[in-house]
Amino acid sequence: MSGLANQAYLRTRLAIMSENLLGREKLYELSTLSLDELSKRTGFDKFQGADATTRLASFERTQMQTWLDELSALLRPLEGPARRLLTQWASRYELLNIKALVRGKIGQLPNEEIERSLFKLPGFLSLNLDELINTDTVPELLRNLLKTRYKSIATQALRRYEENPDPFLLDATLDQQFYSNLINWAQRLEGHDRTETLNMIGRFVDRHNLVWSLRYRYNYGLQTSEVLYLAIDGGRVLNRARLQQVLQMDTLEEALGKLPSNILRSGQMPREITNIEHAMRTDLSEYAEAAMRRSPSILTSVLAYLLLRRGEIRKVYAIVHARVNGLADSILDEALNPLQDIAA
Amino acid sequence: MILAGQDMRHITVKLMREDLPRASLVMAELEAFSPDQRPLLEAELPEIPGEDFRSRIRRAWGNLDRLVGLIGGLPEDDGETPVLVLQREQLIEIDKWLVDAWRECAPCYEELHSIEDDFRELDQLKRSLEEFADLDVDLSWLQGEHEHLDVSIGSIPVENIARLREVLALSNHLILNVAGDGETRRILIVGRREDAEVLDSVLRAAAFKPVNIPATFDQHPNQVRDELEKRRQKLEQRSSELYSMMSNWRNSNHRQLLRARQLLEAAEPYANVRGAARSRGVLAALQGWVPASRLAEVETKLKKSLRLPFVLESREPRSDERHLVPVPVRERGLLKPFSVLVEQYGVPRFGEFDPTILFAVTFVGMFGMMFGDIGHGAIIVLTGLVLRRKLRSFTYLFVAAGASSMLFGWLYGSIFGYEHWIEPLWLAPMSDPIYMLTVALGWGVTFLTVGSGLAISNRLLSGDLAGALFAAGGLFSLIFYMALLGGLVNLVQGGGFPLVATVMIVITLVLLIGYQWLSSDMPYGERIFTTIIETFEIVNGYISSSLSFLRVAAFSLNHVALALAVFTLANTMGATGYWITLVIGNIFIIVLEGLIVAIQTLRLEYYEGFSRYFYGDGTPFRPLRVGRSRNPTIN
Repeated sequence: MSGLANQAYLRTRLAIMSENLLGREKLYELSTLSLDELSKRTGFDKFQGADATTRLASFERTQMQTWLDELSALLRPLEGPARRLLTQWASRYELLNIKALVRGKIGQLPNEEIERSLFKLPGFLSLNLDELINTDTVPELLRNLLKTRYKSIATQALRRYEENPDPFLLDATLDQQFYSNLINWAQRLEGHDRTETLNMIGRFVDRHNLVWSLRYRYNYGLQTSEVLYLAIDGGRVLNRARLQQVLQMDTLEEALGKLPSNILRSGQMPREITNIEHAMRTDLSEYAEAAMRRSPSILTSVLAYLLLRRGEIRKVYAIVHARVNGLADSILDEALNPLQDIAA
Repeated sequence: MILAGQDMRHITVKLMREDLPRASLVMAELEAFSPDQRPLLEAELPEIPGEDFRSRIRRAWGNLDRLVGLIGGLPEDDGETPVLVLQREQLIEIDKWLVDAWRECAPCYEELHSIEDDFRELDQLKRSLEEFADLDVDLSWLQGEHEHLDVSIGSIPVENIARLREVLALSNHLILNVAGDGETRRILIVGRREDAEVLDSVLRAAAFKPVNIPATFDQHPNQVRDELEKRRQKLEQRSSELYSMMSNWRNSNHRQLLRARQLLEAAEPYANVRGAARSRGVLAALQGWVPASRLAEVETKLKKSLRLPFVLESREPRSDERHLVPVPVRERGLLKPFSVLVEQYGVPRFGEFDPTILFAVTFVGMFGMMFGDIGHGAIIVLTGLVLRRKLRSFTYLFVAAGASSMLFGWLYGSIFGYEHWIEPLWLAPMSDPIYMLTVALGWGVTFLTVGSGLAISNRLLSGDLAGALFAAGGLFSLIFYMALLGGLVNLVQGGGFPLVATVMIVITLVLLIGYQWLSSDMPYGERIFTTIIETFEIVNGYISSSLSFLRVAAFSLNHVALALAVFTLANTMGATGYWITLVIGNIFIIVLEGLIVAIQTLRLEYYEGFSRYFYGDGTPFRPLRVGRSRNPTIN
């Protein structure tokens, strides 16, 4: 990005917005509140509706809208690749809609049920979902997607699905394309913005690659080469050669032994994939917190803020959801912090 | 003062639920009713009827669209077919028929797609044959397992090649002979036989599509070509069989398809009222907006069409809902092109000052002032008249702008850039540029002051007293502007900056800052930030906007300067060159400068005018209509 005025605007805006972040302690505190108290604190009590599901859906939509409004405010002074990078980041939710549609079609769910599982997105992200929902099969859905700006994703997905109708292959294709586009935009940046955002995105990619590669290899039993092919380019620590060394091991235990020591900034890598995912996520959050406050690239700070804010919004929603559905405290604790027992 | 959408009324039709589809259809036929989706009656009538109806209609349209996409379009309605009220049972029947029809046709659809893929593969194969024709190898060798090697030939999306090459290198495979164009490439992969399984799994992930090489590939090229041609013919034959099947299906189901479309179109009004219709048990209500002039007509038609009793209540819009009232677009005759340009910016809010006339007058005036030339203006008028069929209503804009150019050309004494043919009625711009700039600035100040006056009146009309007083373009910012201007004029004239102006500036600034502070509910830090920025924007806005109008004079000077440049260039030529340069130069001025001036005028109108006094967030009146309306996204 260029222009001192824009930098100053974003820095100030970000400094003010960062007050919206709750932090781990406040989130924990929310998880200990009763439903009434929690509803007041989170604003859930303002949502009226015939049943809890409707209220939760409205609450989730509003939370998402808050995040998108903040994204729009931060987007305002940005232009060129920086702007495209953030818009691409937001289109993650549209991609989640496509995944939900594909899964719905594979599972032959009724259209109404698929529709309920979709994110309601603002105009600049919204696909014509009517046409996509009104399809019978995954190929037909993907052929309809060929007419949208997701043409290249749909072409790949269609070919793969026709050769091998595995849902996880489709998921991997969609993720691969999403991160490739993100990296593509980041590579067009200059100076600190380029190095810092690539570093940040590299950490996302590391997390994604590690968790999914381990799942594909040791849970689904895929060949190493196939897993390597499905991995995303642009990782920070785990490039393809390094990942190959890890995945050539026969067991998960041995594979974890081959992981580079600097893949986590601190702490030990857990031994189960779910916990590995959580550890990587926590590590990324810590990195994002530092990047938000100290990165020389304002764009990276913005990206870090949006990541943290989205993460917190999801957690707040999860807490409210759990309380409304009467889940036990222990289940909620476990969901929010699965590493607690290990640490203890 | 012309105010937008003054005669709209809010109506509520209380009726029996059974009559809802019929009432919706009546409203749609009249094209005088715009549904109001607000849940005003939620307490008394909690249900929104027709949810199941709507989802069935959507599915039925989806299936009909797919069928029509496969078998070709259906003829347009002749307009004489009577519009029917779709009963629930009929909808179920039509929906079921369309589901069955699509099930019947879907295999054909899938097979046609598969044939398309086969054609593509055949093309790939043919091209491969041509490429390998010069090699002295057995072509059938290019596929399958050999004693030590595993060879695969096929196509792959172009963006996957680099990744595949990298991954295959890790398992000692090679990619050879990358060829082809478009989105896919043909590749030949060679590796060790024992790694064949590894290769298969990677190729699967890479969306690799093997090319099926026929056994005859080791034969003479002509025989191979014959073989490929036979395959192609087979595919063409199958494809034409499928199309003929579809055509037969279409012929035998033509009437039913038309009926389905007619019934679904008739069902659209009821489907589209959505939350504007509410019910509880057998009781229902329909609410929306109707122009007052058509209220009696609506009531009469409902009385004639509904089978059961109903009550129609109407009222004027309340002050808190003014921004929601739809505004009908008026037929404007000569003003039409200007109203189109206004709507490009926004639709006037209900009860807001409609800026079309003011826009037309100031646009034409500013264009003429910036592009004043009798000759150039006349050409613009003529162009408009000659192209009137293409330009349609925009002919008026061309004629008005050209006539204004001619008028200012007369005032400036300019014909095709010649400044000495006629005596200027006012003055030639170049003779006193400073005076021209002063006039432009004076025009800008007048424009902004009128704009602020309109902003204040619009806000008062919509009940926004605080906005009328304190917001940008409000009364206090206008007083601030006037005080600043008065002070500066006095200063320039050597009288110093008057105390009264200073006091007024300070008071208005304090009031503006105070308002910004109190109207913000943000956290402390952000509040300081936004208060400073917003107040600065108000102050800075007036100054920069005033200076923006200097361009009106600048372009009138620019016009003369461009003409001078053309004359200077022409004078360096011989007699023929002189006239050619003059003609080309004038065309250049008319097209390029004319376009730039039009854009600049529009910019002044939109950014210095509309953004100051025009809400432009009104809702255009879109009445419920018979026939299909597409819903692009799910809300």
